[in-house]
Amino acid sequence: MMSDIQKTENKPNYFSTAIWLVLVALTIVSFCIGETGMQGQDVMLTLLAITMIKSQLVANYFMGLYKTKLLWRGIMFSYFVIVGGLIALAYLKGIP
Amino acid sequence: MTKTQNIGTRLNISTNTLNKEDLPGDFALWIFIFAEMLAFGVLFVAYAFARAKDVAIFNESQLTLSLSSGVINTLVLITSSYFVVRGVSAIKHGSSKHCAYFLTGAFLLGGVFVCVKMWEFNAKFSAGITMSTNNFYMFYLSLTFFHFMHVLMGMVILGYIIIKSLRSGYSVQDYVGVETGASFWHMVDFLWIILFPLIYIIR
Amino acid sequence: MKYASQAVAKPYFIAAIALFLGQILFGLIMGLQYVVGDFLFPAIPFNVARMVHTNLLIVWLLFGFMGASYYLIPEESETELFSPKLAIITFWVFLVAGAITVLGYLMVPYASLAKWTGNDLLNTMGREFLEQPLPTKVGIVLVALSWLFNIVMTVLKGRKTAISMVLTLGMLGLAAFWLFSFYNPVNLVKDKFYWWWVVHLWVEGVWELILGAMLAFVLIKVTGVDREVIEKWLYVIITMTLVTGIIGTGHHYFYIGLPEYWLWWGSIFSALEPIPFLMMTIFAFNMVNKRRRDHPNKAAVIWALGTSVVAFLGAGLWGFLHTLAPVNYYTHGTQLTAAHGHLAFYGAYALVVLTMISYAMPILRGRAANSEKAQVMEMWSFWLMTVSMFVIALLLTGAGIVQVWLQRVSETPMGFMAVQDQLAIFYWAREAVGVVFLIGLLLYIWSFFVKDKSPVLA
Repeated sequence: MMSDIQKTENKPNYFSTAIWLVLVALTIVSFCIGETGMQGQDVMLTLLAITMIKSQLVANYFMGLYKTKLLWRGIMFSYFVIVGGLIALAYLKGIP
Repeated sequence: MTKTQNIGTRLNISTNTLNKEDLPGDFALWIFIFAEMLAFGVLFVAYAFARAKDVAIFNESQLTLSLSSGVINTLVLITSSYFVVRGVSAIKHGSSKHCAYFLTGAFLLGGVFVCVKMWEFNAKFSAGITMSTNNFYMFYLSLTFFHFMHVLMGMVILGYIIIKSLRSGYSVQDYVGVETGASFWHMVDFLWIILFPLIYIIR
Repeated sequence: MKYASQAVAKPYFIAAIALFLGQILFGLIMGLQYVVGDFLFPAIPFNVARMVHTNLLIVWLLFGFMGASYYLIPEESETELFSPKLAIITFWVFLVAGAITVLGYLMVPYASLAKWTGNDLLNTMGREFLEQPLPTKVGIVLVALSWLFNIVMTVLKGRKTAISMVLTLGMLGLAAFWLFSFYNPVNLVKDKFYWWWVVHLWVEGVWELILGAMLAFVLIKVTGVDREVIEKWLYVIITMTLVTGIIGTGHHYFYIGLPEYWLWWGSIFSALEPIPFLMMTIFAFNMVNKRRRDHPNKAAVIWALGTSVVAFLGAGLWGFLHTLAPVNYYTHGTQLTAAHGHLAFYGAYALVVLTMISYAMPILRGRAANSEKAQVMEMWSFWLMTVSMFVIALLLTGAGIVQVWLQRVSETPMGFMAVQDQLAIFYWAREAVGVVFLIGLLLYIWSFFVKDKSPVLA
């Protein structure tokens, strides 16, 4: 019984630590892209894709929505799809 | 993975779908979170379309931002969000003390964010940049300022929860308050994760 | 009635309804003057009729808010009102001052009124909605302070609930923002900037707190849903109201000499202002659906649901219609604004005061609810007034669209007065529907005098 509790206590922590490390790594990748000053369609889409992964990791595993109804994850995901999609559209329009 | 384990996992998943949890924390706060996300979403999209009309000025002005302070703040917020996750996990296992410690860590990181941001604002203001300089700075200052206000509000909420949990105000049975505050703080992180690449990097 | 001092609400409610009737009569006079320009000239010129129409609106709503809070706060605080006597004195002072002001508007040329009331000392008159002479403006401060004092003292000595906190905060804001009516800088841009701090921050800010608190109170009473649930909604709604409403002031700052960023701030934040209203609608219907009891006062439930719906339509939807800067570039100050103003004021504020009166008045008269006959009559008056106000808003919207087209979009734009002639058909129809509204209001007043042998059991 005790060991069961121990298990459930540790498991999500390892998991959230892993998520945290992934978020840090993705942030550094974005930063490096920014430092090089690269631009253009591919870079923009890459950065948006990284942002999408990061935002969904936060929503699903930090906010804990992976345990909830599909509706809530759907809202968070479609939020990013709509906002990110419109941003991409605006950028594609702005690229000469 | 053996076959039986595999079936076990599947069963586990199916029971999970049957007993889906509600949104973590108070539902009323979630309505607020969705409304806030909508407000920021509209601002993000407005930024992108305003930029499309004036790419040169936006690209040029963007170069004057401090990318390193942006990335430091991103790492700070992500880490503080992680601490909040640990804080919630602690209270779920009945440890008020650990919960308070982790949340205090998150609170202090919030303080770091605020300091870095104020340094950044100060640098911009002393360079004579205002909201009327151009549309890029208008959006940069507005968006980061609104977000800044949310960080401050989040810190007030965290502070309240820290004090309450130090007084053992939460327990294994009743930790909705912690989850509510945590959800708000994650939203602050979530919004910054979009804001940072949009304003500082993507060009 | 749980507390004897709640009875002070009664004269406030009666005065509110009487002034409401006055407002509608002047509205009809003015509506006719739109098409028959010299109607009642020179006795009541258009500008005077308009001033009386709008000022009476504000004053009767204030009477309604005050009455409602004197009724609501003792019950929420579970204690008698701090000073019923002060409340009654305040009532008479406000009523007499209001009456003298309106008579002043009607009997004396505005310029003479300004001269006699010390406008030279502190120049505050001559601005839309803030036309009141200096003594009246000071009087409003005193009345508001006395009201606030009485309520705060009551809240302090009794139980503190979310509803009484929100209501008190709203009243505090109402009193505080009124002070900007005394600030009248010579620079017209600055003048307008602060003018909106009274006008906008009242109706799209602090008044909404009062509205939310009153609606929440009535819903708790008529549905029996847990206070906790309703209070939570109230908090979320008022937070959203303040977040969107305060910066949303910017939607008045387009193209009047203020910095360009207001185009963005005003558009974006005010575009979100319908959200708290939508939340209020969902909230009201949810609570009524989850009701734990069927309150005998069915009319009050209808008024409450009506408030949430028409407030969303009038304030939310009709406001959104012309709140974005590129749209407002064309629609600024047209009949569209009038459409929005009418439906929003009716839906959000007139209806919430009537909700409160409808709920409280039978109790003040010693019964849980009125007889079925009186309630049916009240429901008729609700539908007559609400539908006709909605039609008025539609007609004015039509007039506004034609006006924008002829005056501002067309290749060969027409002058303002020439366009007004083209709109005559809309104005005639509006006047006719206005008469239906008046009939609804008279029916409402009549419902108070209906005598039925079989009162509904509590």
